[in-house]
Amino acid sequence: MSEIAVKIENLSKQFQMAGSGSLRETLAGLFSKKEKKEEFWALKNFSLEIKKGEIMGVVGKNGAGKSTLLKILSRITEPTSGKATLYGRVTSLLEVGTGFHPELTGRENIFLNGSILGMTRVEIRQKFDEIVEFSGVGKFLDTPVKHYSSGMYVRLAFAVAAHLEAEILILDEVLAVGDAEFQRKCLGKMNEIANDGRTVIFVSHNLGAVRSLCTAACLIQQGQLILTGSTDEVLQTYFNNNLGEKASFHRFINSYQNQTLTLRPTELAVVVNGEINGLMEMGDDLAFDVGFEADAPVSEIYLSVVLTSTVFGDFLHSSTHFLPTFRFPQPTQKGKVRINFGRLQLITGRFIASFWVGAAVNSVEVLAEALHFEVQEKDVWGMGKLSPRVSSMWWDTPFELLENS
Amino acid sequence: MNSNPEVKSSVLVIEPSKGVFNLNLRELYAYRELLWTLTYRDLRVRYAQTVIGALWALLNPLFTLLILAFVFGVVAKVDTGQNAAGQPIPHLLYTVAGMAGWAYFASLFSEAGTSIIGAQGMVKKIYFPRLIIPLSKAMTAFIDFAIVLGFMAVLMIYYGFMPTANFVFFPLFVIIAIVSGLAGGIWMSALTIRFRDFQHVTPFILRLGMYATPIAYPAAAVPEKYQILFYFNPMAGVVEGMRWSLLGGAPLHWYSYISFAAIGLMLLLGLFYFKKVEKIMADIL
Repeated sequence: MSEIAVKIENLSKQFQMAGSGSLRETLAGLFSKKEKKEEFWALKNFSLEIKKGEIMGVVGKNGAGKSTLLKILSRITEPTSGKATLYGRVTSLLEVGTGFHPELTGRENIFLNGSILGMTRVEIRQKFDEIVEFSGVGKFLDTPVKHYSSGMYVRLAFAVAAHLEAEILILDEVLAVGDAEFQRKCLGKMNEIANDGRTVIFVSHNLGAVRSLCTAACLIQQGQLILTGSTDEVLQTYFNNNLGEKASFHRFINSYQNQTLTLRPTELAVVVNGEINGLMEMGDDLAFDVGFEADAPVSEIYLSVVLTSTVFGDFLHSSTHFLPTFRFPQPTQKGKVRINFGRLQLITGRFIASFWVGAAVNSVEVLAEALHFEVQEKDVWGMGKLSPRVSSMWWDTPFELLENS
Repeated sequence: MNSNPEVKSSVLVIEPSKGVFNLNLRELYAYRELLWTLTYRDLRVRYAQTVIGALWALLNPLFTLLILAFVFGVVAKVDTGQNAAGQPIPHLLYTVAGMAGWAYFASLFSEAGTSIIGAQGMVKKIYFPRLIIPLSKAMTAFIDFAIVLGFMAVLMIYYGFMPTANFVFFPLFVIIAIVSGLAGGIWMSALTIRFRDFQHVTPFILRLGMYATPIAYPAAAVPEKYQILFYFNPMAGVVEGMRWSLLGGAPLHWYSYISFAAIGLMLLLGLFYFKKVEKIMADIL
């Protein structure tokens, strides 16, 4: 029987709507006979066992209780009742770059951040070169961090965190910052950690990442555990439960200080056969409209899209980064760009599109899983046959018989 | 748990705490490196990009001292007594000796008071014993204190004033000053989180305190009937004590010892209240 790394038993957390307030409010409250302030259960009787070496993905809508669960496991807030036992050293990464100070240099911030995260000076010194190399800030190591580009900042912060040593790692949305390249690097490092045999609890809205990294998953809804099991099973259930909602606009603003977005997305839409928000069937033309506005008229935009199948994962990517020829005919401050895939040949299923929109590759707003859409079944070959769901796309390739061998 | 690499297989149990008062000194010690790191950060940041840099630590108290010495020494001509050898104590020296202790208390009190709110980013995202935060302010303020003491030593040489045997007691008064500052600071930091009103209380208390504390004048100058009220201010005893141990002169009034005891109690109660608020800090910040 494999060892248990984390055992959560009936964990519950109740928040009082009151809390920090003015003296006046509290004193007034003492004298009034009002009913007790509304209470809110962020977590209710949550029980879960996580085996050693498991990468447990935690999914759920915003407000479901994921962050509360992580905060309790990270000892930032106390449970109201219940118990959690963690077997092994624990490190939590709930935010990238905690404690970073803009006036200090990269070098100093490595020691500061590492120290805050629980590393000893000796440990940090040992890993220093690795950290610097991973971050790629090299020659800027001794300049104050406030001069760093947002990309450098985030890479440095993640580099420190990536070298934490603990048997149990708790991660909260750490992929929600940074550009596409950074996210790739993060995922790579996390894969490494996963292969090391460490136990990871991972919260993310990036379902593609959850699918590719996690060995198991659990679904939280309104503070309660709805389901736990294989990643596919849980993701499918999560998606089923959210069907019928309009395409939601998940906005993950880069949460660190240096970020100034000079170009921002304003709207997104799925376009089927030229019709906005049309329903898609197999064989239809697919495009995405991305509305944007900028601080000043620009001639170019950084726009990147990744298509994800809820079953098969990420399968297609397109980016202006590789098409330097795409420029606006004249400087534009507000407008819409259409990403036209044409007849994409998606097999029936549910799909998610994620976008990266910004002025340049190091100044982007990440819209993870911003659009969800479904492709209906259709007999595209006109032969009375329907496609089996074996992949995200199909292709009618020529088949030819080579001379017998 | 994180900063304890010696422990190979650690088990962490998370449960609602049962209201038992546990200072957990062992944990504080395990996190000592964080204490130095935060202190270093505060000092580095304070003078980053300034031209004069650390010299400001000296100039600030210096100007206040000069003004006080002028007002009470030249204008009001307050009698600052003599030391055991019969040497009259120069007014500037008298004021510096008093100011050193007060400045330490004042800066610790105000810095520690807002320290948790200032560090809310960290408090909401990382676990560490929250007491480290006001404690690191005690260390930063101590550096400033040491600078003023250095200045004091220079002055004593200039005036040819040798410290007496009383000097043995000096560290004691330094400790009491630290305890006072911490007690006030810890109370304030916890109270300010619960009730934001208290942010405004601190500057008020300090302004009042500066005049109510015998920095530039001796406590004996206060009329007899107000003396006991006067010593409610713990810093009255600390400042008089520091001055006495450095320069000699009239020994401490016995009222001081009451205020010292009161300060010790305040610290204990402050720690208790802090630990209580610590549990919900991340929730209400």
